[in-house]
Amino acid sequence: MLPAVPEVLNLPFDAPLDPDEFVRAAMEWHFNPETGSPYWLERAPTLGFDPRADVRSHRDLALFPNVAAELRDVRVEDLIPRGYGPRPDVVGVFESGGTTGAPKRVVLLRDWLDRMLAWSNANLDAHGFGRGANWLGIVPTGPHIVGEFFRGSATTHGTHGFTIDLDPRWVKRLIAQGRGHDADAYAEHLVDQAECVLRSQDIGVLTITPSLLERVARRDDLVKLVNEKVRAIRWGGTRLDPDSRQIYRTEVFPGTVLCGNYGSTMILGMAGERPGLPPEGPCVFDAPGPHVTFSVVDPQTLRPVGYGERGRVLVNHISASFLLPNNLERDLATRIEPPAGRVGDSVADIAPVATFENETVIEGVY
Amino acid sequence: MTRPPGGLLPLDALGAKGPYRSQNRLTVADVTGEGVAELSLVPPLFVGRTVTALREASPPPPDERAALLTRAARLFATAELGGQSAEDYRHAVSRVGGVPISVVRTAAESVAARLSRVYESVQQARPTGTVNDWRDPLTRTGRGVWLRRGEVFAVHAAGNHPGTHSLWPEALAMGYRVAVRPSRRDPFTPHRIVTALRAAGFGDDQVALLPTDHDRADALLRDADLGLVYGGEDVVRKYAGDPAVLLQGPGRSKMLLTADVDWRDHLDTIADSVSGHGGTGCVNTTAVFVQGDPAPLCAALAERLAGLVGLPPQEEKAVLPVLPAAAARAVEAHLLHRAAGTRPWLGGDGVVDELGDGSAALRPAVHQLDRPDAPQAGVELPFPCVWVAPWTPRDGIAPLRNSLVLTAVTHDDRLLDRLVTEPTIGNVYTGDHRTYEMRPGLPHDGYLAEFLMRSKSVIRD
Repeated sequence: MLPAVPEVLNLPFDAPLDPDEFVRAAMEWHFNPETGSPYWLERAPTLGFDPRADVRSHRDLALFPNVAAELRDVRVEDLIPRGYGPRPDVVGVFESGGTTGAPKRVVLLRDWLDRMLAWSNANLDAHGFGRGANWLGIVPTGPHIVGEFFRGSATTHGTHGFTIDLDPRWVKRLIAQGRGHDADAYAEHLVDQAECVLRSQDIGVLTITPSLLERVARRDDLVKLVNEKVRAIRWGGTRLDPDSRQIYRTEVFPGTVLCGNYGSTMILGMAGERPGLPPEGPCVFDAPGPHVTFSVVDPQTLRPVGYGERGRVLVNHISASFLLPNNLERDLATRIEPPAGRVGDSVADIAPVATFENETVIEGVY
Repeated sequence: MTRPPGGLLPLDALGAKGPYRSQNRLTVADVTGEGVAELSLVPPLFVGRTVTALREASPPPPDERAALLTRAARLFATAELGGQSAEDYRHAVSRVGGVPISVVRTAAESVAARLSRVYESVQQARPTGTVNDWRDPLTRTGRGVWLRRGEVFAVHAAGNHPGTHSLWPEALAMGYRVAVRPSRRDPFTPHRIVTALRAAGFGDDQVALLPTDHDRADALLRDADLGLVYGGEDVVRKYAGDPAVLLQGPGRSKMLLTADVDWRDHLDTIADSVSGHGGTGCVNTTAVFVQGDPAPLCAALAERLAGLVGLPPQEEKAVLPVLPAAAARAVEAHLLHRAAGTRPWLGGDGVVDELGDGSAALRPAVHQLDRPDAPQAGVELPFPCVWVAPWTPRDGIAPLRNSLVLTAVTHDDRLLDRLVTEPTIGNVYTGDHRTYEMRPGLPHDGYLAEFLMRSKSVIRD
């Protein structure tokens, strides 16, 4: 008989709980030889501290090294906590985009997917997304986790999910090779496919990346179609700059709810846009804490920057199904105070650094 | 657009629905690093929507376009536009771009002069077999009609010299709607021209200013029908295969003096061609080829140019370009690196003249090459920097290729024949003409209209 998952790790997402008690329960679960994953149990003696004894609070998670890079090579079987027993309910194996080297791999377990969807559906409700609509998503159907979350959202919050497959790795490769025209053609191909679904089906929710949404906005007939049918647009995957966001909300899709998501495969989920933000302000994302928490830090010292200042996003994922503390993402964000009672930071204006002109070119006069 | 006391001048984007102030703004700093203006950068979504609006708009009738351009020229030269007087404008260009104020003043006058004569200039480029309008009586018996190849023309503007902005308004005369992406080094000139055009009566949906950050610069070219891009070798490589883009690449203007003339009679012309306008133009001389020993010419040229001293760009007597000191040091390091193996006559130990306020002037450089095909002869730098090489008729025209302007001082008509017919030489002047000489109606790098227009046969009953 296996030990049960401690209740504090499995409370409903909106139940009040003490984040430090939550962290202690997670340490006990992931580093107990009976319940922890082979990966973490093997890694524990090399940490230089005893997670079960020394990690007493959310703040103590900073003791952990960033092990994300190791997920490039770990056998996925070794990532599943033993406490899930011999037949864990695995939804799938997913990969990061591989922007910074070979892809990293994670395992998605059913209980975490259900928890994430419950949290995400509540956020959609708060934004006024109508339940029961058909969804159309231009998203990677694999190996990234977003396709799985899309299908889950579409069929739990909505009714049917229609997908157009987007391969972001191929787009990145085309751009890196200077084949911008090929990347354009691929993107237009995706929009063409989406148009077929939009014309023939009752689509109420569109899930799309900002760069594809911009292509949709360039086609007047498609803008008209979206405004006729689609009541809510959920965007994510890359940044949406504040100016574009305001233009969409006020000029392009004025009658449609626009709601952002910031997530990744390594987070095993996403943070939703805070409901009720003013159109001219920044887009703030609240993390589904205490399971997923953000800090905005100075990338050198890993110390938090001040509220309102910019830094790199550091992510902790702590659930019964998975543990990945102290993962420094490559995104830059503004640090924002979290909603009352939440641990960690909220983040705004996720973006790369702005550049205007290449400073290094010297030869020539222009 | 009012400027708060002591604050930054807001430079709004100028979209199809009027001025637009974005949340994403860039501080434009002068050569000392002090902020001068705040430029609104627009996202690709805004670019796309503006270009769509421009494409849907109809241009004013041709006569009216000519009148509006003339009116805009006057406003550009004299009016307060966007909260900026003509004097404030020239000062800002000088302080930010580091261009000597006298050069800015002359350039602004020439921009206005060319703007007022754009319509005639464009007509110079029209094939003689064509008419401007299909209603022309000549089409009754069949005639070529001169027509646009597209509707929206995008310009990635240059920032080295305000004079470069006298070219693109020609597209308006041809009935194009035009969107300009300014350079950070001089957003003021295109902002002022677009503002003047609008004040003169061009609709907001006829001409736009769309500043974007570097990563999104391609959005404008992608959305427009045809585009014009200024840049160095890297830009040429990037767009060389794109038939919708007209490139204004490196100038690499040159002079040639053969043995049948005495170069001493032309020393003023040579020195001016190198250093005039601050030496910042594509039409400034990059290399001089001389038949015979280059050393005496180098000595005389170095002596002439050595007298040019660094001053803050806004001072009346300033003649040299000024950059932030770190940028000037980078140019100097590049010069010294490229000059290895050549014989320095001026500037061999450096060209940076610190002005003590964080900025630095770039003083002239004269280097002697030992052969006409030395690679340095193609090194074009944004200050008075010249390479002097020996040349003999045996060397032929190969070293003179790839020139925007070539001034050949020679009596050898057979040589001139070859230079004039050489496709990689843009313009040929012979005799005592500075390489930067330009006049309205003369092609600068071909006529812009050769790219923007085509001829179509029309026959009607």
